[in-house]
Amino acid sequence: MNLAAGPAFTVPDINELFTYRSLIHPFKVGPVVFHFTYLTLVMFVLSFALCALFIAAFRRPAVVPGKLQNMMEAAIDAVRENIVLQTIGPDGDKFMPYLTAVFFFVFVMNFMEIVPGVQVPLTSFMAVPALFSLMAYLIFNFVGIRKQGVYHYFKDTAFPPGVPVFLYVILTPIELVSKFIFRPITLAVRLFANMMAGHVMLTIFFLASTYFLIGGHNNILRGMSIFPILLAIVLTGFEFFIAFIQAFIITILTAVYIDESLHPAH
Amino acid sequence: MHALLFLAAAEPSSTGLVLPKLDEFIWALIAFVVLFAVLAKFAFPALRKGLDAREQAIRGELERAEQSRLEAESKREEYDRRIADARAEADRIVREANESIEATRRERIARAEDEARQILEKARSDAAQERQRAFDDLRRTMADLSIEAATRVLGKELSDPAAQRQLVEQFISQTGNGSNN
Amino acid sequence: MHMLLAQAAGTTISVAAIGKGLVYGLAAIGPGIGIGLVFGNAIQAIARQPEAAGLVRPIMFIGFALAEALALLGFVLFFLIH
Repeated sequence: MNLAAGPAFTVPDINELFTYRSLIHPFKVGPVVFHFTYLTLVMFVLSFALCALFIAAFRRPAVVPGKLQNMMEAAIDAVRENIVLQTIGPDGDKFMPYLTAVFFFVFVMNFMEIVPGVQVPLTSFMAVPALFSLMAYLIFNFVGIRKQGVYHYFKDTAFPPGVPVFLYVILTPIELVSKFIFRPITLAVRLFANMMAGHVMLTIFFLASTYFLIGGHNNILRGMSIFPILLAIVLTGFEFFIAFIQAFIITILTAVYIDESLHPAH
Repeated sequence: MHALLFLAAAEPSSTGLVLPKLDEFIWALIAFVVLFAVLAKFAFPALRKGLDAREQAIRGELERAEQSRLEAESKREEYDRRIADARAEADRIVREANESIEATRRERIARAEDEARQILEKARSDAAQERQRAFDDLRRTMADLSIEAATRVLGKELSDPAAQRQLVEQFISQTGNGSNN
Repeated sequence: MHMLLAQAAGTTISVAAIGKGLVYGLAAIGPGIGIGLVFGNAIQAIARQPEAAGLVRPIMFIGFALAEALALLGFVLFFLIH
């Protein structure tokens, strides 16, 4: 493995990649120790930037929209057309603010993976996907219970109507576990895993580029750095795509879960 | 080999990565709630209001356009009607003129024919009268001549000149009628 | 010589490392096939009946989520195994 004159190519410890120093002295509120890291700062900046964008766009809604208003209207309309109407239907408009916020927030946080100066997706920290997953979990259970009643909601989930009775032996545990345990876990882990894997992959390719280019014995090895560099560039584009797709998927899955609670006959 | 050794040597637990950290969770929650509040309390109502206003404006424009279209249509109908009226009026005038011309022509022709007929009749009756008079003259003259001739032939006058004249005239009229027919 | 010793010393942990790698690799096979089937059939269904797209899409995403759940469990196990 040791091609270079210097030390061997080492993959950094994965914990190291995802550990950030607190900018302020950690403080304690109740049992929770708060660290305010650089990434926490970035997260708040993103949130406030999105808020500012929406406020600027709709501060004075004009009958003939300006450029910014037109753009934001098109973006919101894209979320509505492709996610909400496709899954929940017209009565999904109640959930539009939530789903729009999720989509845009997750997207910009994913997008930080390829933004110079940050270059780590904020969603690759389990707490962030867990937040969206927990909120989705609370919302779809709440909507289901309010729409169908406690008894019918749990009964129809455990014993889906229109299934032969003997199948309930297998189906009921699967349904219950997949809906109430796997759903929130996978919703969070899907986003987390995709973004984290992407980040690790990009890190390794860029480290390899550096290793070949700077640490190479001779010009042949240095020249070989073109491959990891090219691949890293391609992967950066791919990660942009992934950032978008994962934001889309977590939003549409939230919408699908809400739809299932809202229209149980489906 | 080194990589494997590296992994083996530094084997810190990575379990922490898949477990959400509570402080990160709370920071994310705050950031998200701020964004959600702005969207739900401000952006979407404003968007809805803007869309409603736009809808109203478009609807108003459409209604105005519809109204002006209807107006234009009714005006056009009125003009059409007026044009049709004018045309009918013109037709009527032309027809009446034609009729009156025709009537005048007929009348004139009739009058001319009448006059011609009257003239003809008058001429005919005049001619007949002339002829009759000429005929009467001729007959009288003939009668006189015959009597004279007869007197000369017989050498003497008939005893009663009136009777003798009557006789001659009777004779002439008989022959005249025969020759006339 | 040095390397061999080091290898001997770290053997048990190295096996765990290999196991960690295998957990995710094996866990990804089934869901990989499953997700392919889900999306492939959904595409076929939509291509045959484009008007059914609205009905197919949510079910497609539920199926995809369910199939991917297993791969994600493998991913989590990767971190949980010591």
